Amino acid sequence: MKGSTTNAPVSAARRLRRWPARLDFLQSATGLALGLFMWVHMFFVATILLGKDVMWTVARMFEGYFIFGRPVYGLVSALVATIATLFVVHAALALRKFPANYRQYRTYRDHIKEMKHEDTTLWYWQVVTGFALFFLASVHLYIMLTRPDRIGPFESADRVWSDLMWPLYLVLLFAVEFHGGVGLYRLALKWGWFAGDGHDAAGTRRKLRFFKWALTGFFLVLGLLTLAAYMKIGIDHAPFYGQHYVPGAAATTGVTP
Amino acid sequence: MSSVTDSAPPKAAIPPADAPKRMLHFHVLRHDPQDPVSIPHFEVFELEEAPGMTLFIALNEIREKLDPSLAFDFVCRAGICGSCGMVVNGRPGLACRTLTQDLPAEISLAPLPAFELIADLSVNTGKWMRGMSERLETWVHSLGQEVDLARIEERMDPELADRIYELDRCIECGCCVAACGTARMREDFVGAVGLNKIARFALDPRDQRTDQDFYELVGNDDGVFGCMTLLGCHDVCPKQLPLQTQIAFLRRKMVKAGL
Amino acid sequence: MKVVYTDVLVIGGGLAGLRVAIGARRRGHDAIVLSLVPPKRSHSAAAQGGMQASLANVTKGQGDNEDVHFEDTVKGSDWGADQQVVRMFVNTAPKAVRELAAWGVPWSRVRQGDRQVIINGEKVTITERDAAHGLVAQRDFGGTRKWRTCYVSDGTGHAMLFAVGDRAIAEGIPVHERTEALALIHDGQRCYGAIVRNLITGEITAYVAKATAIATGGAGRVYRVTTNAVICEGIGAALALETGVVPLGNMEAVQFHPTGIFPAGILVTEGCRGDGGLLRDASGHRFMPDYEPEKKELASRDVVSRRMEEHIRKGNAARSRFGEHLWLDITLLGRKHIEHNLREVKEICQYFLGVDPVEQWIPVRPAQHYTMGGVRTNHTGQTPALRGLFAAGEVACWDMHGFNRLGGNSVAETVVAGMIVGEFIADFIESPEGELDIPTAVLREALEAERGKLDTLLRHGGREQADALKAEMQQVMTDRVGIFRTGADLQQAVDKLQELLVRSRDIGMRSRRDGPNPELVTAYRVQKMIKIALCIARGALTRTESRGAHFREDHPRRNDAEWLKRTLATWSDPLATLPTLNYEALDVGRMELPPGWRGYGNKDYVDHPDTPQRAAEVSKLRETLGDADRHSVQAALMPYEHLLPASLRGRNERIDEKLPT
Repeated sequence: MKGSTTNAPVSAARRLRRWPARLDFLQSATGLALGLFMWVHMFFVATILLGKDVMWTVARMFEGYFIFGRPVYGLVSALVATIATLFVVHAALALRKFPANYRQYRTYRDHIKEMKHEDTTLWYWQVVTGFALFFLASVHLYIMLTRPDRIGPFESADRVWSDLMWPLYLVLLFAVEFHGGVGLYRLALKWGWFAGDGHDAAGTRRKLRFFKWALTGFFLVLGLLTLAAYMKIGIDHAPFYGQHYVPGAAATTGVTP
Repeated sequence: MSSVTDSAPPKAAIPPADAPKRMLHFHVLRHDPQDPVSIPHFEVFELEEAPGMTLFIALNEIREKLDPSLAFDFVCRAGICGSCGMVVNGRPGLACRTLTQDLPAEISLAPLPAFELIADLSVNTGKWMRGMSERLETWVHSLGQEVDLARIEERMDPELADRIYELDRCIECGCCVAACGTARMREDFVGAVGLNKIARFALDPRDQRTDQDFYELVGNDDGVFGCMTLLGCHDVCPKQLPLQTQIAFLRRKMVKAGL
Repeated sequence: MKVVYTDVLVIGGGLAGLRVAIGARRRGHDAIVLSLVPPKRSHSAAAQGGMQASLANVTKGQGDNEDVHFEDTVKGSDWGADQQVVRMFVNTAPKAVRELAAWGVPWSRVRQGDRQVIINGEKVTITERDAAHGLVAQRDFGGTRKWRTCYVSDGTGHAMLFAVGDRAIAEGIPVHERTEALALIHDGQRCYGAIVRNLITGEITAYVAKATAIATGGAGRVYRVTTNAVICEGIGAALALETGVVPLGNMEAVQFHPTGIFPAGILVTEGCRGDGGLLRDASGHRFMPDYEPEKKELASRDVVSRRMEEHIRKGNAARSRFGEHLWLDITLLGRKHIEHNLREVKEICQYFLGVDPVEQWIPVRPAQHYTMGGVRTNHTGQTPALRGLFAAGEVACWDMHGFNRLGGNSVAETVVAGMIVGEFIADFIESPEGELDIPTAVLREALEAERGKLDTLLRHGGREQADALKAEMQQVMTDRVGIFRTGADLQQAVDKLQELLVRSRDIGMRSRRDGPNPELVTAYRVQKMIKIALCIARGALTRTESRGAHFREDHPRRNDAEWLKRTLATWSDPLATLPTLNYEALDVGRMELPPGWRGYGNKDYVDHPDTPQRAAEVSKLRETLGDADRHSVQAALMPYEHLLPASLRGRNERIDEKLPT
């Protein structure tokens, strides 16, 4: 730090006191990364709506297929591991903000009921969805981490339908979109982004809130359509469960070459 | 623009006298924590609405006519001293400048939460604020320099003076604390009032504390990092202080100081 | 018996009390401040417009100095003020502003270059000097020849109170909030502190102190229509009165502010008119120039209030269902100015009237505003009658306001008196006089007396209701002891108040708890308030002249020959129903500014027999001294600097009056 000279080492206590800043920054940073990833992820997954070939190409791209000439699943695992790490760190940090006991929980619930204040109420739902994500997202991340080879138009569709993951994905979709949307919106307010010269705080918030709901709506629709697409493919492909997708094949059902 | 000497009288400002009168029901949360048999409960008082009636007028009328023991606090009754913060139909606000005509006929009044209850609608905001001030050292730290009072004062940019006053307008009414979910859950949280004070002194060149010094005061989870940006504070502040932007400003500053 | 010991006990946590405590603390003495409410909620916060100090930074203030401020204040007082005290005050006021600037008050500052202002209804361009850029700015106020009122937008009192309140916290001064002094502990010669009630628990404690300072503010709430906060009930003055030995000075001198919003009586600042706002009647006519062609809306408050009431009596009032009123028009100042410099005014109009003052006129009518009179002290702030008892601020009759106070001089007095009296208190404590030697019997008797009074109220089942008595008192004061006074009205008021006082000795309680019991508080306060009201009404009845804010229709002239004297009211017999009035003559022979015409208001007055001689003396002295600098002239006319505490003596620097470096 600029304030301290070289021969006056920062005391241990002082070092300790820096942690709140770091933790706060980390919580926001991991949240931002995860939130943005969530949107990007949705776009990739939604490529199924543009056709199986498009989705296949995107999936292979992540495996380095077009660089190495063959799928390197480790790349996917590494990416998943990174996201999972961010997820765990974010969850651990966010946990600090959760009500610590029933009294706090009760107080907050009463507070919501009295105040009828949108941003206060949203936080409660952020906690609820965050809590849900502990489980839902963990399941998904574990599968992605351990079976990176099972990502593709048929592979994913089989997982959604035949492996009976669609109920979990349905809930996950709502939880993640809500949690991420509110989270990103709150990040913007928390750090004062898009505030211009700061003179119209109310206006900034109105706009941000509009964008938040618009984006959440958009991604939910996109997510539902995508999930439906996978379910449809999954249903059709159920008899051929386990078969890989091969691009360019004329048939939409899996015919092994 | 009216002429200087003579001008047409303006349109009537106050609603007509013959508007039909309402009967108001005040549901007041009663409790005397010093009385071992007292249990918090709502008591209902009925009052006929009068033109231009504020909660200040109404509560005094209740005390005069219906219950002389009803405890509440008013001082300036003009919205500038911050004494009469209470929860009106769920939202913290200043009772003295709340007109009954803006409320439904059923009005619930409760003391500000998060503060020590004295009795009924009276809470000890003063004690809380003094504690906050001592903790955050909310005064100009000039590092022992005595000012020569005979000399012309230090100059200050007019714009900066205005910006400091903008934040200095806080009246410590406690509405922001009562409206804050974090403060409700965690009693050591300094609240928007405390964070705004730090932002105010950080802006003031007469205060020679550095960002590191301010970090020592609010760079923790009871300070700026405890804020979860619920913004109840911003939305209920009777003085419309720019709390949303100020807390964000302080967070950026403190993260920079702490990283 | 619970006893708390300290060096200085300050009763009242507003600007004056806090500044007194800080002064004593900085001299190394312990101080405790008692306050009915958290100190930052004190009525000092309501001073919106500003504080007078002759800094002469703005162009329109150029040429201002202590001499001009002195003259304005004395003329404003209608020669009722103690001119030496006024001198002490005007010399310290610039120091006070500068001290507060260092403590963090965000004074509005001068911006160099052109700006548009409204003067006498016309747009005028003023050019501010480069040399003044960034210095504390001044605005125009009533009764002043220069722009002298330093301000923080229109939240001056608030900003000052918070800076001083925070400074008190920085000094580690304990403020015992929600406590109320019930009586002073004394033996008729020496004050030993006060008997204090905790308003939360009801507990009674004796606070014993080497010096006791009363700084409880005004007594506006003895009137029904007042701009004052609900805690301004004159209790501090009553504490002194009830000692039986300490006199209250000039209690009949009560100021009515021209612009209380109608009907609530909430103040809108004089800054509205200072910045160019106009008064209009029912037909929209600007009437003040008809009465006061020179100062117009900006004559002193007593004059403007009287002219307004006169205009209403002539049938020119606007009418609403609440009654008759006039209009304050600030629409010509424009939105930007109003939202920037008159923001509180805008909020008050919005919340209490549903009016946007940018577009609409504000209904106003004069309302009780300020108590010029109070605990009579000498120039050190100490009461000559009771050693160890001091008073500062509105509660005191120090006496710098005489019969009318100028706008901007009250909030200035709080801090200036706080600075000066704080030093004198420290001097007193450090002197042999300050030693405390209190007989325990005095303490015990004082405690028992107060306990007994409370028990009587709580348990003896009196027949009178406290709030009803209070309402009757307030009504009679507003109806009969207002702006226009007559012997007949005042006699009726005195009779009625005497009746109320007798009845107040038979108050009973509907609720008998001793802790947070608002009814009990009203009961013991109303007994005191009626005494204060009687001092006002009786003083007004006896004073058969008109001076400053005291206007007798049956005696419309100022009469220096008979009445250039200060009323002193004492209440020696607790069972009496009237105060005893004595008078303290003002010495014309020592006045720097001998009595004359104020430059506004009534030109018709009766001279004091000594006035012509003193006037001749003064002009001769001025002639003799010729080219001597103004400080030497002043010192020759009326030396005062020796009266100030050593640390507060000395000249004040201005752009045009540099001090040697």
